[in-house]
Formats: sequence, structure tokens, C-alpha cells
Amino acid sequence: MHALFLATAGLVVQIPSEDLPLGIEGKSVVRSLGRIEADGRVRLRDVTVRYARRVALEGVSGEFGSGSLTAVVGANGAGKTTLLAAIAGAVPLAGGAVDCAARERLAYLPQLAAIDREYPLTVSELITLGGWQEFGAFRSPRAAMRERAAAAAETVGLARRLRQSICELSVGELQRALFARVMLQDATVILLDEPFAAVDAPTISILLDQVTRWQQEGRTVIAVLHDLDLVRARFPSTLVLARRCIAWGNTEAALSAVAA
Amino acid sequence: MSAHALIIEPFEIFAFMRAALVACLALALSNGAVGTLLVLRRMSLDGDVLGHAVMPGAAIGFLYAGPSPTWLSLGGAASGLAVAALTGLIAGGRAQRDAGLVAFYLVALSLGVVLVAWRGSNVDVMRVLFGTVLAIDQVALLQIAAASSVIVLVIAALYRPLAVGAFDPGFLRAVATRAPYGGVFQALMVLALVESFQAFGTLLAVGPLLLPAAAARCWGLGVAASMALATGFGFAASVVGLLVSYHVNLPSGPAIVLAAGLLFGISLVVTSSLRRLAPLIGGEA
Repeated sequence: MHALFLATAGLVVQIPSEDLPLGIEGKSVVRSLGRIEADGRVRLRDVTVRYARRVALEGVSGEFGSGSLTAVVGANGAGKTTLLAAIAGAVPLAGGAVDCAARERLAYLPQLAAIDREYPLTVSELITLGGWQEFGAFRSPRAAMRERAAAAAETVGLARRLRQSICELSVGELQRALFARVMLQDATVILLDEPFAAVDAPTISILLDQVTRWQQEGRTVIAVLHDLDLVRARFPSTLVLARRCIAWGNTEAALSAVAA
Repeated sequence: MSAHALIIEPFEIFAFMRAALVACLALALSNGAVGTLLVLRRMSLDGDVLGHAVMPGAAIGFLYAGPSPTWLSLGGAASGLAVAALTGLIAGGRAQRDAGLVAFYLVALSLGVVLVAWRGSNVDVMRVLFGTVLAIDQVALLQIAAASSVIVLVIAALYRPLAVGAFDPGFLRAVATRAPYGGVFQALMVLALVESFQAFGTLLAVGPLLLPAAAARCWGLGVAASMALATGFGFAASVVGLLVSYHVNLPSGPAIVLAAGLLFGISLVVTSSLRRLAPLIGGEA
């Protein structure tokens, strides 16, 4: 019987309280952590990825400079998502190598479809997860981390939604929350996979400002995008993919090289 | 009939009823937590498959040592873990994976029945298929309680990674590189199914795991609260199922699973009608 009692005791332990204090609404804070100094270079050497027999990426070489802001464009199936996954180390390489000194300080925002929106989680909990590097799997987030979560929510316009469940958010609002989570990750390299797909115009403008802010803070940002006008307007560098690297460099030059 | 005769007396008079009740309550404790994670991960089919994957190993344990709870568990755990590892290897899309899982399930079930029938009687076959919740002995009871304690404590310790892994596995991989939380969860699931197998047999083992958790999930609570409610539903189904089987003379395992199924049905109907009524009465669903 004492074993059963042990089981009962375990059930009591297993319910950690996850409720987070509501943040500092009204205090307008766009918190920047200042310029970061870490080496955010990502160098690709002959990177090749295969899924079974199909070649997804072949012999891509080049370098994303530390603190650069690059758009990755190309048709469907051009290997854009695969490239991000290869940089993040989430797929095995069939050949070549990815040199990324900041692998441990890398944030990867996958396409929205990869996330279960029915999951019982509050906006505040979702954003606070970005501080995982600090509190890890076991400790609870400290007050400073909760304040940063509230500040990040404020920046993306979700300050009033912190206590709501993520299933109550629209697609655009969920993307805002995920951006806020990336803000907390304080990453040196940030990978964004189609961050503006199916997202409303006001959200795009808020998120683009955040992308620019990340670059100003010295972070390397690599984003898969489809809207070429937006790329021309806001992204200094562009990589054009069609399984191989078609063009890579200054946005205007890279895009005109493709058009020609 | 007085309430005492209806509810208390069966457990007062018969030791086997008390043993069955304690076993079911211990099972409900771990099943609430594991089942909730299973439902949240949308892995109900995996759970069903692993429930049958326990069978061939348990059958080999039976051939080796007869109906000993220890050998049934050890064999069951071994084959459950082996199949869990194999299912990880199924490549291809969702449809191909589902077909592969169902193939495992059928092969494991048939292999188990053939092995038990080879040396044992029809009674033995029925025993491994539907369990013997009313014939739980001291050894089996201690095993169930110990396994349940281990499961609950591991989930308590790894609560955050297990919950996050169910929601956004890519994020978990990125922040907790190389920690095999997916594997840990599968091992917990096999352990839960092996203990459930003792009481409910291979065909029903997944019932007490999945049904209370699915019922609790209807109510739209947070993860921890869902686990607690699933455990409560598990308790209720065990008590009601055992009492009904005693008074009406029905097989106990199926009666408990039916009670859990009834709770799921009620939860589904009540929550969906609440959601439909909410706009009419101006409340919030």
C-alpha cells in the first residue's frame, strides 16, 4: 500500500503552477538588449541535402555575414525550408558543411502550420518559453523573465491577450506571439520560415519593424519570403534558390540576375 | 437496498474486490497523466498499437513461466519497447505511417494469441486478451503500484519538456538539443500499458489510458488540470465499473472501460451543447 501512497504523493508534485503575473501594461517599453557582440556568421560549404532519393539542396556555398539581413526566395520545392533546417541542424547533410559558431544561440521559427493551435497554453506561457535557455527544463521562470515576456508582448501588440489561450488567437496574432517568443530567446542567428504567410497587413508591418530591430541589434536574420516587393523594400541581401544557389548578394542585383 | 449494501459492502466482504479497486485506482493515477499527454500529442493510434505490441512478449513470458505477473510484465515491456523503437523507423507520410502501425498491431496480436494457444488453454487466451482485474494478486498489485509511482514521478520531473514536446517539438529540439524526450515518453507509455495489461488484457489495456484523458480533454482545461481531471474520471470509472459488474454480474474489465466510455460521451455532449448555448445566454464557453 505504501507504493500506492507514493503514487498519490507524486500526483500532487506533478502539477506545477504555471500562472504568470500579468505584465506591466501601459508602460511602453520596446526593450532592446543593445548590440550583441557574438559571431553570427553562417558559412555554407557545398551543402547538399537529400530526402530518400530526392535531392532537396545541391552544392550550396556562401556566407551570411554576422548581423546581415537576408531574404531567401525561390519557387515551391526550391529547398528554402530545407536550407533553414540544415542551418538549424534539424536535417542531416548528405554532403558539405554548415559553419555556424552560434548554433547554440539560434532561434528557428518554422511555418505556422507546424504548430498545434488547439493546445491548451496561454499566450503568456508561450512567449515565456523563449527564455528556456535561462530556466531550462526544471526551474520556473524568474520575475525578470516574466517582465521581459510582458514587454515583448507589448511590442507586438499582445499586451492585453497575455492570459488568453492560444486557440483564441487569429493566425496573425499567433505569429506575433511566436515573434515575441523569439525576442526572448535573445538569439544571435534568427531563422524565419515564411513569417508573413497568411498574416494580416498590420501584423506584417509590426513584425517587419521587429525584424529590422533585430538587425540593428547586430543579429543575423535569414527569412524565407515570397513577396518580392517586400524583399526589395526591406531586405538588403537576397539568396535565390532553385535547389542550387542561383544568385546571392545585394537584393537588386540578385533579383535582376534571375529576371534576366 | 441501502446505499451501504450498494456501494461499500462489495468491497467490505471480498478481498478480490478490494485488490481490484486498489489496482484500478493506482492505474488511474498514472493513466491520467500519460493519457493526457497521449491525447495532446495526437498519438492515440500509437497508444493502441503499443497496447497490442505488449502481447507477443507477454506470451513468451507466459510460455517460459506460466501465468506469473512478473514474467508477463517483463516480456510485455521488452516487446513493447522493441515495437516502439521499430515504429520510429517507419518513414514516409502520414498515411504510410498509419498503415505501418496497423500492420504492427495485427501481427503482434496474432503472434501473441498463437504463442499462448500453443501451450495454454482457451482460458489463458481469454486472460491475456481481456485481463483478470478480479484476480490481481499481491505481487501484481505491488507491481502496478510501483510502476504507477515511477510514471507519475517521471512525468512530474519532466513535466515541462514533455508538455512542450507535445505542442511544438521543433522548438524543444532547438532548445534542448539531444535530450531524448520523445523516447522517454514512449517508454512511459509502454510501462503504463504493461501495467494496464495485467488488469485489462491486451485488447482493453489502452481503454483506461485513453478514454478518461479524452473525456477530460473535452473540458478545455490546461495540461496539468486536464491530467488531474483525467485521473478523477479514471477513479470514477473504476468504482462505477466494478460495482456494476458486481451487482449485475458482468465482466469487470469491460464494465470499467464502458464506464469510462460513458464519461467520454457525457463530456462530449455536455461541452458541445454548452458551447452552442453560450452565445444564447451571453456567457462564455
